[in-house]
Amino acid sequence: MSDAATAMAEVRAESAAKARAGKYLTFFLSGEEYGLEILKVSEIIGMQSITRVPRTPEFVRGVINLRGKVIPITDLRIKFGMEASTAEESCIIVVQLRDVQTGIVVDKVSEVVALAEAEIADSPDFANGVQTDLLLGIGKAGGRVKLLLDIEKVLAAHEVVQLADSTTAQAA
Amino acid sequence: MIPTSLNDAVALLMQLEVTDTGDLEVLRDALTAMAFENRVSPAEQPHVARAARLLGTIIDGNSTNARSDLDAVSHALDVALNSSVSNGVAAIVEPTVPREKSRSRVSTKPRAKTPAKSRAPIADAAPKISVQNTTGKRKPEARPIVGETLPQDTDLSLLRDFLSEAAEYIAASEVALLELEANPQDTEAVNTVFRAFHTVKGTAAFLGLTHIAEFAHEAETLLMRVRDRAINYGPACADLSLRSVDMLKALLGAVEDAVAGDGALLLPTGYHALMLALDGYNPAADVLTVECAPTLEATPRATRIESTVEATIRVRTDRLDRLINMVGELVIAQTMIAGDPHMANSQAPDLTRKVTHAGKIVRELQELSMSMRMVPLRATFQKLARVVRDTASKVGKSVAFATDGDEVEIDRNLVDILSDPLVHMVRNAVDHGIEQPEERDRAGKSRTGSVRLSAYHSSGNVVVDLIDDGGGLHRDRIANKAIEQGLIESDRGMSDSEVFNLIFAPGFSTAEKVTDISGRGVGLDVVRRNLELIRGQLDITSTPGRGTKFSLRLPLTLAVTDGMLVRVGAERFVIPLTQIHMSFRPEPEMLSTVVGQGEMVILRGALMPIVRLHRTFSVRGAIENPLAALLVIVGDGSQRTALMVDELLGQQQVVAKPLGDGLGRVPGFSGGAILGDGRVGLILDVRETMSLTTPALKLAS
Repeated sequence: MSDAATAMAEVRAESAAKARAGKYLTFFLSGEEYGLEILKVSEIIGMQSITRVPRTPEFVRGVINLRGKVIPITDLRIKFGMEASTAEESCIIVVQLRDVQTGIVVDKVSEVVALAEAEIADSPDFANGVQTDLLLGIGKAGGRVKLLLDIEKVLAAHEVVQLADSTTAQAA
Repeated sequence: MIPTSLNDAVALLMQLEVTDTGDLEVLRDALTAMAFENRVSPAEQPHVARAARLLGTIIDGNSTNARSDLDAVSHALDVALNSSVSNGVAAIVEPTVPREKSRSRVSTKPRAKTPAKSRAPIADAAPKISVQNTTGKRKPEARPIVGETLPQDTDLSLLRDFLSEAAEYIAASEVALLELEANPQDTEAVNTVFRAFHTVKGTAAFLGLTHIAEFAHEAETLLMRVRDRAINYGPACADLSLRSVDMLKALLGAVEDAVAGDGALLLPTGYHALMLALDGYNPAADVLTVECAPTLEATPRATRIESTVEATIRVRTDRLDRLINMVGELVIAQTMIAGDPHMANSQAPDLTRKVTHAGKIVRELQELSMSMRMVPLRATFQKLARVVRDTASKVGKSVAFATDGDEVEIDRNLVDILSDPLVHMVRNAVDHGIEQPEERDRAGKSRTGSVRLSAYHSSGNVVVDLIDDGGGLHRDRIANKAIEQGLIESDRGMSDSEVFNLIFAPGFSTAEKVTDISGRGVGLDVVRRNLELIRGQLDITSTPGRGTKFSLRLPLTLAVTDGMLVRVGAERFVIPLTQIHMSFRPEPEMLSTVVGQGEMVILRGALMPIVRLHRTFSVRGAIENPLAALLVIVGDGSQRTALMVDELLGQQQVVAKPLGDGLGRVPGFSGGAILGDGRVGLILDVRETMSLTTPALKLAS
């Protein structure tokens, strides 16, 4: 039974690893190139005026009107502790996570790359100040390194923690 | 004397004149109780209900000819008495339309309702079964088509509702019956059918559709036996049940024809046979007696029900909401095109015309989409009639309840939220507003109190007035009580309505009883809470000794909010207009700082805290000096607060939307709205904003 279980686990691990292969939308943040699973991207829109929402964490830039829907916008630079930028080419990538639509601000969108499993390495212990558990892996194609973000973790986990922090801070 | 049996009721009725409103009311209530608390047989029930209904119109003064209506009441009771004697089937009221008419109807549609093949087997089957029947029932097919008429006082809209509702129930029970056939142990399926028949029976009886009620009763009885495991759901039983469903369809079809036609009701062929078959159903012998007899012409009937009854479709509300939202966006998008500078300077008059035309269509579309969520208040009001009756009889008062404007429509979402407060307010009006009959006598009023609900449109809102002619409210007592309980410090500067509104404050007057206003306040805070939820306003006027008028002012819909757009620094916020009392630029002598409570402004003797919105929401570049800023007074009663803003940008209708799921709940804001320029504006939640800045002790309430 244990043999079978191990075999199953191996198969599962393999398929999990295989799932990383696919198309990624890459973008720049502070000179580094990052990647995002293309299947999670619903659209890319130009920078527009964002309505600030008071009493939210700093990385929440605010909300915008996406064809009648109000969606929150997260600034990844601030989230990753980088300096805020006002780059001309800044744009918003709208991602769809299950039923939640949300936007992220990036410096510049680069390209869509197809990465094979062989081109994706597991993340090292430390990468550019980004916690490695937020990374799916590191893509190495076209001679440049791309940090592949687990966008769901990036947006969800942190936000909850920091939101809770900020509200308790205010209450105190 | 309160009559407890039909005989008593008839005896009482004979002594009464149309002017004896009080006694007529007693009689009405007694009859209502008999009809709806199963104290009379199902055969009698519809007639008793009809009598009660007629009495109601006489009492309310809505009757055009009270005397003849009173005769009709007595006739209805006679019929009820006779029907209980002659048992069941015979209770069908003799037609009051000329016979000829119904006959000619029959002859113009020969056989239309009776495919030849369906008749024979039923006719064959019936006599066999009737053998098992003990009491002498009517010969089954002696009168294949019996005419009846719709009750004269039938509310047609109610009838239409009944038809579409019943059609749904019947469709559901058909499905359930088929499931039951596959799995006879399926209790849920039996219950579904049972409930369906039961509901149809009840409503039909209420509407005076005697034969439908009777038939549904028989069918229900059969199902009850199945439910209680008295009989097995065998093939014959299944067949009987399905045929009952078809018969109900045919009966409903007949009602529908009557509504569309001259009011003459035709009894579908096989009615009596099926009634007997249901009544005499014997599980032991069944397979032999009722073999799969072909059903009545079910299909054409069913489709016809859908065709002439106002056809409805059930749509999931989220889809509807999305549609309405999208139309809202379309309106904004269209406004942006029309307001574009290029359009204003356009050298192409053709283009301008086209855009204007599109605008018209868009606005019409918006109106249409809004109307899709609207439902009349009728059902809500009807429920309250029952509340009045029950409360009045519990406290031994005599109260006449009247409504008008029940055709006024409001948003479906509002109905549910509105229902609770109305129940509480109506109960309160009967319980505490209306005095005991003796007291009313002393005050020179009629013994019967009156509670009246009326709904109407007023400047874009729906207003529901609840008017009673009871003892009224006493400003001083309420104010004193409120001061005693620490709800307010003084009633100086408060309007009457504001003082009266205190009875809805949580905890008001629950502690001890005070005469005149005793107990008021129990459950009444639900009124305030729900009204806040739907952004309604409550205005109360009252004359001691003469009565009280509660005016509920409600938005037509929750989808659109009337808001005031304010600027704070470079940011804009929307404050719901219903929350704003006034705004003004303060004078230096109005401002003061109270230790421990911060900045305060005094306005007409009332002291209220100033909330600097720029501080609460950390906005940079806003006006810091209150003398240069504007104060917007929000909140109610003792909880008034002055919000400090830079500027009022104007009033605007906005569509409230959640701030995106990813963000969760943001304290201080109830949502966002797309403003005219396409940007998002945040809608202030006034209560939360106040609690974000006021000291904790005020949060307790």
